[in-house]
Amino acid sequence: MQRLDFIKQAFLSLKIGQQQQQQLLIGSTLAVGGILAYLVHKRREAKTIPLGEGWWGAGEKPLSEDDTIHPFEVQTSDQEIEDLYERIDRTRYTGSLEEGCFQYGFNSTYLKNVVSYWRHTFDWRKQVAILNKYPHFKTKIEGLDVHFIRVRPPHREGQRVLPLMLVHGWPGSFYEFYKILPLLTETQDDLAFEVICPSIPGYGFSEAPHKQGFDTLAAARVFLMLMERLGFSQFYLQGGDWGSLITTNMAQMKPQCVKGLHLNMFVSKKGLKMLLSLLIGPYLPFLVGFTREDVRRLFPYLEKNVYEILRESGYLHIQATKPDTAGCGVNDSPVGLAAYILEKFSTWTDLKNRDLVDGGLERKFSLDDLLTNVMIYWTTGSIVSSMRFYKENLKTNIEKRVDSRTGVFVPTGLAAFPGELMHCPHSWARTRLRNIYSYSYLPRGGHFAAFEEPQLLANDFVQFVKKVEVSPFIF
Amino acid sequence: MFTEVLVGLVIAGLIFFLVQRSKKQVLTTEDGWWGAGAAPDDGEDPTIRPFKVTTSDEELEDLYRRIDQTRSVPSLEDSQFNYGFNSQYLEKVVSYWRHDFDWRRQVDKLNQYPHFKTNIEGIDVHYVHVKPKNLPEGTSVVPLIMVHGWPGSFYEFYGMIPLLTEPSDQHELVFEVVCPSIPGYGYSEAPYKKGFDTVSAARVFHKLMRRLGFQQFYAHGGDWGSIITTNMAQMEPKIVKGLHVNFAPPANVGLPIGLSIMLGRRFPKMFGFTDMDVQRLYPCMEKLVVESIKESGYMHIQATKPDTVGRGLNDSPVGLAAYILEKFSTWTNHDFRNLDDGGLTRNFSLGDLLTNVMIYWTSGCIISSMRFYKESFSQGLNQPHAKIPVHVPTGFACFPNELLHTPKLWVKQKYHQLKTFTPMARGGHFAAMEEPQLMAQDIHNFAKTLEKKK
Repeated sequence: MQRLDFIKQAFLSLKIGQQQQQQLLIGSTLAVGGILAYLVHKRREAKTIPLGEGWWGAGEKPLSEDDTIHPFEVQTSDQEIEDLYERIDRTRYTGSLEEGCFQYGFNSTYLKNVVSYWRHTFDWRKQVAILNKYPHFKTKIEGLDVHFIRVRPPHREGQRVLPLMLVHGWPGSFYEFYKILPLLTETQDDLAFEVICPSIPGYGFSEAPHKQGFDTLAAARVFLMLMERLGFSQFYLQGGDWGSLITTNMAQMKPQCVKGLHLNMFVSKKGLKMLLSLLIGPYLPFLVGFTREDVRRLFPYLEKNVYEILRESGYLHIQATKPDTAGCGVNDSPVGLAAYILEKFSTWTDLKNRDLVDGGLERKFSLDDLLTNVMIYWTTGSIVSSMRFYKENLKTNIEKRVDSRTGVFVPTGLAAFPGELMHCPHSWARTRLRNIYSYSYLPRGGHFAAFEEPQLLANDFVQFVKKVEVSPFIF
Repeated sequence: MFTEVLVGLVIAGLIFFLVQRSKKQVLTTEDGWWGAGAAPDDGEDPTIRPFKVTTSDEELEDLYRRIDQTRSVPSLEDSQFNYGFNSQYLEKVVSYWRHDFDWRRQVDKLNQYPHFKTNIEGIDVHYVHVKPKNLPEGTSVVPLIMVHGWPGSFYEFYGMIPLLTEPSDQHELVFEVVCPSIPGYGYSEAPYKKGFDTVSAARVFHKLMRRLGFQQFYAHGGDWGSIITTNMAQMEPKIVKGLHVNFAPPANVGLPIGLSIMLGRRFPKMFGFTDMDVQRLYPCMEKLVVESIKESGYMHIQATKPDTVGRGLNDSPVGLAAYILEKFSTWTNHDFRNLDDGGLTRNFSLGDLLTNVMIYWTSGCIISSMRFYKESFSQGLNQPHAKIPVHVPTGFACFPNELLHTPKLWVKQKYHQLKTFTPMARGGHFAAMEEPQLMAQDIHNFAKTLEKKK
């Protein structure tokens, strides 16, 4: 109050005429009002990133592209299975170090168990039938055959059906979603989903790009075109790992199409705010917007986030620099491929699995499911192209890329699983994800959330969608 | 009176400090046991057994079958060697391997020098031992151990061995050469226990030289070999007469190095930087940081998950060749990444390159060779031996395309007795194999300098 008086006094004591005083008052009010209005407007204005364009087929781009959608069926043959068995039988094993567990990578004693199951018990034909229980399709976009499955819920009275796309990551595939699909499509709830699960180009049954530069922005654009081709003008998105970045890009490119974005993996930009919260957080968490759970998951920061990431990111480093070299050998050796991929399903589910002789692999996953995912990489020979995706995205500084510098304004739901590789608190996520409707701490689960804890993820996703459906425009 | 006492104390303190500093630090280490299970009561078997590299029809047929069943993946258009080994050129290499490469002949070539094995700390250590013959009267023989690195082998030194062991008019000295295989590489048995790092290898090699009857010897190494021989010098400075290396990455970045990076471009003379130094170090962000990140993916994954990354390579000869030969391309010259054929045969013959790959393939040692990274980086860059300087007379051969360029100032930070520093006209990381003449010449010069001083 005193201040106001003081300003009034100062203002009145200015030796200018009554009229001029009025003018000054009006002028400054307008100015302030204008600035405020501009700021509000800017906040409301949802920025988008450019759509861009691309062509990834071999050779030159033809004049027209075939945009029909063809049904597709996963197949196998005696030849394929025999070749696999022959290679497995010819594996040259190297013993693990005594007491090495999973610290040096996939333990060889346990690997022999997995391979023995694969060779004698695993039934690929049965798994192929399981894969084919949902209808598969392929369609050509930007020169590439894009594979996807489309799952329509059975018709139920009074049930609303919303379109949803689920995007996988590495070293996963569309198959990771097979457990969560029934929970989203066969529910008795008043809400169900029609789900599209594509394969990222270069992964599984989607054709690999022939040209350089196919990054998440390109994948996002391809998937937006896919949804458009399927006739969806508005839809939900869910993703983890690369899928989370691709779906985020989709929401940044065409926010008017994306009703809601749900992520189980999300990172924040590094910045002063993050640094400050790291320094103050352990002592005064509430001051920087940390909950107790945040503190528990984030600290000790150096150990959990820097050292652990260094220990676990060797694959990322080599794939982001020399994917052709790294992938060459694993494309010839099924056992090598299995070790490479399954090591992630062990360690990224729970870091403590590294101290177990069997890597804790079968605690949360069945060997049938794990090997089916490996077989998708094996039978399509897509490991090299899947690794190239890392180089395409990381060969330039990703933090300077247009999508890292742009916010996300569509309604967003975040599911923070305790075993995820890096924890990102709500206060950090908010700097870029500007419209968070829901942020949940899940009680258990790691990086492969859809595969490991489908019920938890489905529950969180559905509660998020319900919030959006009730009030879609809150800022 | 008080001032006198104070002055006395200060002088005493100074003397104490100086004496402490001059007490040369020695790297201490303890015996290990790397064999399977527990160490037997009667210790290790010290006999030395002759060894011959052998092959069989079976081995070759298995190799050919696997090569024929390779599932190749085409490289991206116009990517040359930037994404790793280019698939089109790989096909050419593999075709040569399958149809022209004669492994039996190469095995004979390997056996031209005598091989041996002996059990040290529970594992069989393989080495090649070449004694000079037809010595004229009065020639002195100098013992020399040469240690290889990754993804190399003892075979890298085969070009140099005749230049070192055969008497000639050009050189006064003749060397008796021992080239061991690091345990876990090639024909040396792989450790069964965790923890076998460069210091362990150094200790094992000291035991080897002692077992062979050498009281003093010279040591030469590149890549891991340079660090192992450096450790050997740190452990037993009286036994290692002279240390010759071509790779000396600074373990600690102290004030002199830091200052030289910041000011060296503007004031090269102040730090003793030559034109080549400035060219190779600046712009330093690009050349020191970005280039290192681009090329160290293999190191990162091998230092964390060696068993995972090596698994596929032990089954797929083509995968193994791509993985190993990519290094022989890129580490010889970074610009080779932009060539369709990676410039591989500009400096090496496919026969030699594939012989090296075959040593890894036939011994199935790729995983154990990779584990060495994890064991040696277990404490990050903070290993105890990184902090101890080297007081043994050292010679450094500075090749222009080495992975990390180290000017004289930087080398001196660790090697306090740098006697020779030779900037070379050409050559990269695999200098011993690429430029055997230059390297052998430098070793001769270095040893001569030391021997003359007696």
